Amino acid sequence: MNAPFFKFGYFNTEISLVIAFIIGIAFGFSLERGGFGSARILAAQFYLSNMRVLKVMFSAIVTAMLGVYYLGVIGFLDLKLIYMTETYVLPQALGGLILGIGFVIGGYCPGTSVVSFATGSLDALMYILGALFGIFVFGEVYPLIANFYNSTNMGVVRLPEALHLSYGLVVFLVVVMAVGAFALAEWAEKKFAFRNPENEK
Amino acid sequence: MTSLAKKISELFTKDIEVVEVKPKPYSNPYLTGIGLGLVLLLSFVIMGRGLGASGAMSSLVAFGVQTISPEHATSNEFYKEYIGDGTTNPLKDWLVFEVLGVLVGGFVSGALAGRIKKRVEKGPNISKSKRLLFAFLGGSMMGFGAKLARGCTSGQALTGGALLNLGSWIFMIMVFAGGYAFAYFMRRQWL
Amino acid sequence: MKNILSKLSLNQKLGLIAILLGLIALVAGNPFDSNEVKVNIKDIALSTVKNSDKIKPETLAEWLIEGKSDFVLIDLRNPEEFEKYTLPEAENIPLVTLPEADLYRNQKLILFADDNLRAAQGWYILKSKGFKNVYILDGGLEGWKNNVLFPRLSSNPTKEELSQFEKKKAIAKYFGGQALTDSGEVETKPEISLPASSSQQKTAGAPQPKKKKREGC
Repeated sequence: MNAPFFKFGYFNTEISLVIAFIIGIAFGFSLERGGFGSARILAAQFYLSNMRVLKVMFSAIVTAMLGVYYLGVIGFLDLKLIYMTETYVLPQALGGLILGIGFVIGGYCPGTSVVSFATGSLDALMYILGALFGIFVFGEVYPLIANFYNSTNMGVVRLPEALHLSYGLVVFLVVVMAVGAFALAEWAEKKFAFRNPENEK
Repeated sequence: MTSLAKKISELFTKDIEVVEVKPKPYSNPYLTGIGLGLVLLLSFVIMGRGLGASGAMSSLVAFGVQTISPEHATSNEFYKEYIGDGTTNPLKDWLVFEVLGVLVGGFVSGALAGRIKKRVEKGPNISKSKRLLFAFLGGSMMGFGAKLARGCTSGQALTGGALLNLGSWIFMIMVFAGGYAFAYFMRRQWL
Repeated sequence: MKNILSKLSLNQKLGLIAILLGLIALVAGNPFDSNEVKVNIKDIALSTVKNSDKIKPETLAEWLIEGKSDFVLIDLRNPEEFEKYTLPEAENIPLVTLPEADLYRNQKLILFADDNLRAAQGWYILKSKGFKNVYILDGGLEGWKNNVLFPRLSSNPTKEELSQFEKKKAIAKYFGGQALTDSGEVETKPEISLPASSSQQKTAGAPQPKKKKREGC
């Protein structure tokens, strides 16, 4: 087992920051390629006319999931050393809901807002400022909501443990679900093509 | 030959708006997704961690608060987490550097495809100022929600999703639920 | 078959590949550690050469005093023995539970017990699981007692041994022991009781990397 390289001491923190920058470039590049620099395209997801968000996100998840799985199985990657956040059921569910609403109101999520701003979007700039403000508000009210914030902690839980299924089976189910979602997405885009911002111009 | 030279000089002399370099169409979403997934996988293999975005913004906020009022920053549990013991600058953080990379990467991709343009993204039935207001509002909700959920779509949904993290999947489902549920109320902004 | 495949669009081909990989996942196994691994015997035998598998008690003592934190000390004895006395900041993982223990591969693991036997058995178990950074505390707790806690000065010390002994005295004191000078005539050694381990952290369970840097998003 040699990977993750950083955790085995192949290089130090300073270099990891350079790597962060490089990985970020690749990340931002892919996002913009996928059309995520446009709030109209991102928001269209929620009107079923442009399903890029779902397609890109789930393709990415499936790809990385399969990669992690197979690299783990052959013994190259030590899955235990990959950082995982703990599961906080209520805060994460509520946070997700709020973020989803914020997504359709603002038209971005944090990563895409940065990409959009990089290509000249003013509303993306406003979005980023809003995000900084929202985080600031969170920080200020944190003492009041700290209890909720730390509630319903289940520790580090993966789907296979939670569902009492083998890891491989969950991988299979996720792939099947994703491919099914893609098929539905294609259907939806055909049906709602009239309001797809990508079809304009 | 002369027509080519003429064309090139035209590009430099004419106003950019008028020449209107036609933006290229976006790439195949599935291929883009696979590319994104490989970047994520690379991050796992090299660093043992995934991607993120909201964390960098949090570092920025913590840095700002610390600069303006260090006592306030250290008395608050939340900011303390980003400031640590005060010896390192909160901006010297993996995510901050990553997000700077995202800026550059997004710019490069946009430049190569002719998609750099000062603009306000909005639907046809809403004013610019209203859109900007909504962008700010949406952003603040997102900032708040992301902190509650310990991440955003990059960190939780993408990274946690690929790692089959239970909390991340719960988060992801709720994001879509929230977006679709509220879409009706926002239709005037987009459609 | 070829006709069907060629008629598929790129997207459909991608979908097919994904489903195929998913199907293979059904039988490919668990990506986490399994308890049956191919044992590379030659590798293991080689690592016993040049004593690269052992750590001297004096070396460990220095590391502890310096405050080095890139290693984990594992006490392989049973909990009762662990409670009575153990090394500073050692974790208790009884030998029989070692295969299931949640250990990180990127940390130096130093195993010890009363002497070298149990430690060697634990060393072999971990080596077969593919751990690369495993070491035995040479002499175990006996070695620790004799070399760190109660170092002896021989009856005709050389100058070098004398100066080294001063250092050993200080180290012994640090860990609650005491330096001894060899009186030569004593037949029965005084009962050497180990210092009480009241001030020690008894952390059982899986070791966590110290000072975990925030890696969230």
